[in-house]
Amino acid sequence: MTNPSASRRASRSLPLSAGLWILCFFTARGVLELRDLGPGIRIAAALLPVAPFAWFLWTFIGHIRSADELERRIHLEALAVAFPVTMLLLMTLGLLQLATTLSMDDWSYRHVWAFLPAFYLGGLVLARRRYQ
Amino acid sequence: MKNQLRVLRAGRAWTQAELAERAGVSRQTINAIETEKYEPSLPLAFTLARLFGLRIEEIFEP
Repeated sequence: MTNPSASRRASRSLPLSAGLWILCFFTARGVLELRDLGPGIRIAAALLPVAPFAWFLWTFIGHIRSADELERRIHLEALAVAFPVTMLLLMTLGLLQLATTLSMDDWSYRHVWAFLPAFYLGGLVLARRRYQ
Repeated sequence: MKNQLRVLRAGRAWTQAELAERAGVSRQTINAIETEKYEPSLPLAFTLARLFGLRIEEIFEP
């Protein structure tokens, strides 16, 4: 069963926290493109998205806890898609790294992580379609 | 799992949204149960049965 007030609260703060996290990520990326910065500032910029992400995680867990049973199942099925696909991506990249030299400009962690939420969103679309 | 939810809801002239609110779930959940794409948990089945004043087996059949 749902908790309507918690659900409304989570629905309001989820896009806000996600937006702040993404904004901080691109700000950090922008700052780290600058050359003339000391290592302290660079590390601080690299860690900038951590706090907003923690808030996003908190609101996301709140959203899941306040969701009804079908919504929880949809998220579980999305994870069941995203997790193995992520494993496949990382395994394949690891093997390709042994087979050839992958360009770190294209395949470093700073690019690959973005596939993971994309897989999760893809899983959500598939699961939602199933129960429509 | 077959069920009589749509017929029972129509008998009370409730919309899916109204039934969803009474049962404490989303409209999507009620729709998925009615179209037999989703089987509700036992607590939700009990809640639905209570709302219609029936036993679970009078609404759901395996």
